[in-house]
Amino acid sequence: MKPAPFDYAAPRSLDEALGLLGEDAKALAGGQSLVPLLNFRLARPELLVDINGLSELAGLERNDGLLRIGALTRQSALERSELVAAGWPLLTQAVRFVGHPQIRSRGTVGGSVAHADPAAELPVALAALDARFTAQSPRGRRTVGAGEFFIGPLTTALEPDELLVEIEVPAPYDRAGSAFVEHARTHGDFAIAGAAAVVARGEHAAIALMGAGPAPLRAPAAERALVEGAEPEEAAALAASAVEEGHRRALIAELVRSAIEEAAP
Amino acid sequence: MPPARASEVGSPAGGGLGLVGRPLRRREDERVLSGRSEFLDDLDPPGLVHLAFVRSPFAHARVLSLRPPESAPGLLAVLTARDLERRARPLPIQTPEGAEVADEPHPLLAPGEVRYAGQPVAAVVAESRALAEDAAELVEVEYEELDPVADPAASDLALLRWRQTSGDVDGAFASAAVVAGGRYAMPRLVAAPIETRGALASHDPARGVLTLWCSAQDTHRPLRHLAHVLDLPAERLRIVIPDVGGAFGSKGSLAPEAAVAAIAATDLGRPVKWAEDRFENFVASYQGRGMEAEVELALDADGRMLAVRARIRADLGAYLLPATAIPPHTAAMLMAGCYTIPAADVEVTGVRTNKVPTGPYRGAGRPEAAYFLERAVDDAARALAIDPVELRRRNLIASFPHRSPLGWTYDSGDYRRCLDLALELAGPRPPSEGGRLVGSGVAMYVERAGGSFEAARATLEPDGRVVIRSSTSPHGQGHDTTFAQIAADRLHVDPADVVLEFGDSALVPGGTGTFGGRSLAMGGSAVVRAVDELRERCAQAAARLLGATEGEITWSDGGLSAGDGRTLGLGDVAAAGPLEASARFESGLVFGSGAYAAVVEIERATGRLTVRQLVAVDDAGTIVNPLLAEGQVLGGVVQGLGECLAEEATYDDQAQPTSVSFADYSLLTAAEIPPVAAAFVESPSPLNPLGAKGIGEGGTIGTPAAVANALADALGGRHVDPPFTEAKLWRAIHG
Repeated sequence: MKPAPFDYAAPRSLDEALGLLGEDAKALAGGQSLVPLLNFRLARPELLVDINGLSELAGLERNDGLLRIGALTRQSALERSELVAAGWPLLTQAVRFVGHPQIRSRGTVGGSVAHADPAAELPVALAALDARFTAQSPRGRRTVGAGEFFIGPLTTALEPDELLVEIEVPAPYDRAGSAFVEHARTHGDFAIAGAAAVVARGEHAAIALMGAGPAPLRAPAAERALVEGAEPEEAAALAASAVEEGHRRALIAELVRSAIEEAAP
Repeated sequence: MPPARASEVGSPAGGGLGLVGRPLRRREDERVLSGRSEFLDDLDPPGLVHLAFVRSPFAHARVLSLRPPESAPGLLAVLTARDLERRARPLPIQTPEGAEVADEPHPLLAPGEVRYAGQPVAAVVAESRALAEDAAELVEVEYEELDPVADPAASDLALLRWRQTSGDVDGAFASAAVVAGGRYAMPRLVAAPIETRGALASHDPARGVLTLWCSAQDTHRPLRHLAHVLDLPAERLRIVIPDVGGAFGSKGSLAPEAAVAAIAATDLGRPVKWAEDRFENFVASYQGRGMEAEVELALDADGRMLAVRARIRADLGAYLLPATAIPPHTAAMLMAGCYTIPAADVEVTGVRTNKVPTGPYRGAGRPEAAYFLERAVDDAARALAIDPVELRRRNLIASFPHRSPLGWTYDSGDYRRCLDLALELAGPRPPSEGGRLVGSGVAMYVERAGGSFEAARATLEPDGRVVIRSSTSPHGQGHDTTFAQIAADRLHVDPADVVLEFGDSALVPGGTGTFGGRSLAMGGSAVVRAVDELRERCAQAAARLLGATEGEITWSDGGLSAGDGRTLGLGDVAAAGPLEASARFESGLVFGSGAYAAVVEIERATGRLTVRQLVAVDDAGTIVNPLLAEGQVLGGVVQGLGECLAEEATYDDQAQPTSVSFADYSLLTAAEIPPVAAAFVESPSPLNPLGAKGIGEGGTIGTPAAVANALADALGGRHVDPPFTEAKLWRAIHG
């Protein structure tokens, strides 16, 4: 389990980093997903662009009611942020399910998003919060929503020369509560399924599912039903209805139900 | 009061310091926890080079051609099966008593045909492990794919056959009021020690000695295996075991890769290291369990067991490694459990599949037997509408020695006391409520340990310390603490003055090996014998020094005293000349036992299982150190729960392994462990001076059977095999 040979660069500026990225290059942030893939020789980039020195990409700030998360922000920083806990508690709730503390101390928010593992928690929470994702390349900057960004397992809208630089998260509906729940075989293991909920019953609802499809999936029918006053169980059944396999459907329905109840008791 | 004779003082009945039975803390932990231990991969001798393997990507294929690269950075050598011809034999095969085994040993490197994905095809030596892996990629192997066998039920190739029939089985079944049982299966498991396997070989041409540092359970099995493979006399080989980060049975046999390292070191004249990585450990380290049984119990109307019939099918994998045939045989021999069943007909068929071979994994046949039989007992209780605890009570063996219909003689036990204590600790079964199905269950077990021999040598050093060299070897169990405790107890010294040495075939006496919960009963008893012999020598020397007769010498904390009160410390005795005693201890098998109870809860909506409570009552004979014994039980329980909740080595229908990392194969964390109540019943074994049996495996034996019975209780009698995943349980509930 040693990686295949690769070249290594540690650029000092974002521009330098962007100039290095491309078809045969990979950005190295926290390395919690990429390094195992390298060690299994499943990823064989010619060049590893280590962006850990680009401190301008790390940080959490509130700006015009938006939370701006630098892509290089460590998951542990997100977990410990009082700003996030006060304004975007769903992210605090979700990040605690990411691996173990050791993993979160290295792993980055941007890495988790750009890697797009279908069992990753942060993409699901960010999808529920209508987050927008900003990518940059020498060609310029663009910002897309979750529906456009997450394409499938380990697949995003990022072009090979693009780097995810920032995630902006609008303030959640002010009377809504939130919850993140998931099922995993063991604590810290990859989840089988999960659900994120931001709910003020009869007023507002955002539900995102993990394990119901190849990428984070919103549940618009369930959201509408909740706004119209449906009971959690009814909304949960709507959210899970797209899932074909019986047990997974039951699991997702149960997770959504408990997420709604926890978010808006 | 007449002075006691030294040899009498050494008897287990009295005269000890009272250390045996005390919960001394593990003295080996400080070194490990402070990072001062040295594992195989920490060894870095000058000139060291590294070994990596080209492994088959196919479960079954013919090797049409194999072309090593002309050159590669840091590449030193590529070895293939052809290079090993006439230089190395495959590993030997151990045959259980009464069994027929096929002559299908594991070749070191695949000679023309590969039979499992991950099998070593060629070995690459380079200046670093990374360069060796790079060069291994450049070895061009052309394969012709053949049809693999993934499902043991579809295999018609038996590598192992064994059958035992005793008593009037047909008559018992013909006259039975009820015949109950079923088909029960345990999946393959990965031992997953935190330290993977590995070896470092170094050849000294001047002395003609090949030294193999090896992450192993003991010195003398790797020594015998390597001597067989290389056809060398044992004195030309030396096995050294550094600190070992767990084995659980998986390091009992010499790894084929370790033998290749030995050959490469001899060829190159440089030390060669193979440090297995986690991927290799998943695909190429022998796995455990992988057995299925059809079990039938014949009972009369009162619930008396008349006979047991069992057909066990074991998925042995592609070859027979040295101990591959042992666990299925052990499972078969234990199919009468702790019950007075007069007749038995048990047959084992070990079949070939295109998977890595199986071998001993903590419990090694015992968990399977307990699971097969105890599930059948609960199914019988349901058929008879008798409480499962009551059904067990009516059939428990109560007098010892007891000869089982399968031929083993149980030495001692108190099965009723184990069951009573387990029930007392478990308390009443909680009710099902709301969306949760609650169930409780008990399971009992008998296990074999010990047998054959172990050896020890005790030396009184001039500084008064006692050095003990033992044939058994620790890899987490706590030998250093318990063996020092035993020796200090009998020599009336501080345990700190007893130094244990293990793990170097040039220093320690030969033994059978460290496995199957045998270290204390056999290795510990050898320590007792060596120390008692040393006591006698000390008494003789003291008598000489004090001008007394040996009979006048008494032992006390301060040393050895003559009748007139003059006393010598052990140091004074040692100063007069070195004293040493060796002992070899041999005995028949000892049989530990236990009763486990579990309470489980299934979430009806999702099938999610929570083990709410687990009770472990083990009878391992005399407990030398209750703290370490409890640690052994808890560790076993955690592994047993892992088997219940999460663990399974999976393969697809082409026999490709699909659990090859901890992302696919889950080990439990502390968060999944329920409250565990552990208690001991002590029925000393009459077969050894400590009265000890084995404690290392009880947790893995009792836990799956008890949880499975609790689960069937929650599911209204429906049977589910482990791992008890939520998908399986959901289907069991929702049809």
